Amino acid sequence: MCAMDYGMFIRSQYNMGDDMVARFGELMEQARLAEKLGFASLLKGSHYAGAPLQEFQQLPFLSRVMTECPSLRLVTGIVLLSLHKPLDIAEQLATIDVMSNGKLTFGAGLGYREVEFQGFGTTQSERVQRFEENLEAIVRLWTEDNVSMKGSHFTLDNVTTSMKPVQKPRPPIWIGANADGAVRRAATMSDTWFINPHQRMETIERQMDVYKRALDGAGKPFPDELPLMRELFVAPTRKEAEELARPYLEAKYKVYHQWGQDKAMPKDDANLNLDFDDLARDRFLFGSPNEVTEQIVRFNKTIGANHFILGIHWVSMPNNLVLDMMNIMAEQVFPQVEQAL
Amino acid sequence: MGVMKYGIGMRTQYGADSDMQTGFEEQMEQARLAEKLGFHSLMKSSHLAGHPLQEFQQLPFLGRVMSEAPSLRLITGVVLLSLHKPLDMAEQLATIDVMSGGRLTFGCGLGYRDVEFKAFGTNSKERVKRFEENLEAIKRLWTEDRVSMTGSHFELDDAALSLKPLQQPMPPIWIGANADAAIHRAARMADAWFINPHQRLDTIERQVELYKRALDEEGKPFPDDLPAAREVFVANSREEAIEAAKPFLEAKYKIYHQWGQDKDMPADDNDLSLDYDELLEDRFMLGSPDEIAEQVIAHNKRLGVNHMILSFHWVGMPQSLTLESMTRFAEEVMPLVEQGL
Repeated sequence: MCAMDYGMFIRSQYNMGDDMVARFGELMEQARLAEKLGFASLLKGSHYAGAPLQEFQQLPFLSRVMTECPSLRLVTGIVLLSLHKPLDIAEQLATIDVMSNGKLTFGAGLGYREVEFQGFGTTQSERVQRFEENLEAIVRLWTEDNVSMKGSHFTLDNVTTSMKPVQKPRPPIWIGANADGAVRRAATMSDTWFINPHQRMETIERQMDVYKRALDGAGKPFPDELPLMRELFVAPTRKEAEELARPYLEAKYKVYHQWGQDKAMPKDDANLNLDFDDLARDRFLFGSPNEVTEQIVRFNKTIGANHFILGIHWVSMPNNLVLDMMNIMAEQVFPQVEQAL
Repeated sequence: MGVMKYGIGMRTQYGADSDMQTGFEEQMEQARLAEKLGFHSLMKSSHLAGHPLQEFQQLPFLGRVMSEAPSLRLITGVVLLSLHKPLDMAEQLATIDVMSGGRLTFGCGLGYRDVEFKAFGTNSKERVKRFEENLEAIKRLWTEDRVSMTGSHFELDDAALSLKPLQQPMPPIWIGANADAAIHRAARMADAWFINPHQRLDTIERQVELYKRALDEEGKPFPDDLPAAREVFVANSREEAIEAAKPFLEAKYKIYHQWGQDKDMPADDNDLSLDYDELLEDRFMLGSPDEIAEQVIAHNKRLGVNHMILSFHWVGMPQSLTLESMTRFAEEVMPLVEQGL
């Protein structure tokens, strides 16, 4: 029994003008390989109006990809929950859970982009309230009949959903959290904190104390599963990894910076516009198979992470490079980590 | 290639105590059979909070079923458009269109149930306005690069979609309409009026005239594709079909009546609480292959319908009965229609 789980993060982001039918075929190939190589889960993120990038929407994508990777858990990583209506999300996710024979994990977070809030008729200042009431409503809709609840932007009037999830009492819930307040919310409202890809080890270590204190306050034990998302770049040597990774990494973080992702992060770790070497230190899984093994083991020993969600595919990276890295992970890194633990 | 195209209408509805994993396998089997029998399209409807019925949600279901029926067109029949946000729908539907290789047809309608309006933070008074502005926004998001538009419940501020549909300039749009005013809207805003399954042939005949006049006013030609949804059951004789379908179809229409579907229908044809025998009159296609072929031909000759979306499965109906009825329809009715047209 392996102590460590690995997830394949499908970002599915491509430049404008790219042929999305061809790219979709490649994503299905990645999913089939993840299944074959023994990954435990597949995650799909969500952004609306994502220009200058193109991407597939989360829930239709997860519904389609399940046929390619029938034994993988399907994780929404994450649903931008403050944008949505709870009845809609509860029923769509229950449908995915039933169709996949109970493979759904519901990852949820606040969202942070103005264009999305506006597009959904809400604002940044409403997001925490809407997130909390939506999550409460979804849990109730999944576990109770005849739910009545008045939220700030919806009314459930004696509602019984069209479908309950297969997993009982409900699918696992992860909250993706960057800021300290959100980390506390992850402790009180969800099954585990889904640690995001952007922060350095020392920031996560400090926030882990915030998380544990909040768990104590809520009288909850430390979760069995602690998922951590990391960007990954692995190659036969460190030097090759640096050369291959540089253009993709820099482009990706420039977009995040433009979108304002760094606004949601703690002040001491908020500048994503750093140079490449600094980002690679403690922020990514990066280098040779031996180095990546050491980094994974360190994240496990330091903060207890035991489900590594790997962001392998960066914008405009050719598919064969993604498949190569997946193979290196499965052939070299997974067994080395197992031995080291 | 015949004049008439056939679709399978999938409500995917089951009773409150049914095992939905089994139900899901049944639905996938029906989709595979539709593919094999030469159907042209597959339609999934949408109801939220459908208690006392269970059903699968529309977009995840279409996302999944496309793998079982790789050559069928995928129809949303209908999206309850007044409930949703246009950015959300535009991106989810574009994702389904790209994933399926350009097979989406976007059917939409107003919605009519209070429990749904409330849960989405709206009401029946707002539905026409929200429907129209949502549809306008979706078309613009699909066909323009940067969209700015202020709706009553959303704002698009220079928004660029994450994914455009594969079909250019956009997937076909059908509007499902019961009331005369909605038929005008279908002429004005959609590629086709999607004729609903509830009305009598004489009511539709009158409304087709209305539709034609509305098209003339808009300066638009009669559509190439005129779709109609119908209930169908093929047996050896009309008596046998009526007897066999009765328990399932009767229960189904009782629920429609409870939900208030008939509130939206024209005054001379708006009572779905009628006895089963009266409901049958010119509304459902139950009978021998010859009788059903005659009815299909009548739909074509009297109304101009050339795409029939047929529901073969109702709540509580055993799977074997559905599969048999589908098979007999394809093997016996389709050739008779071909000869008769």
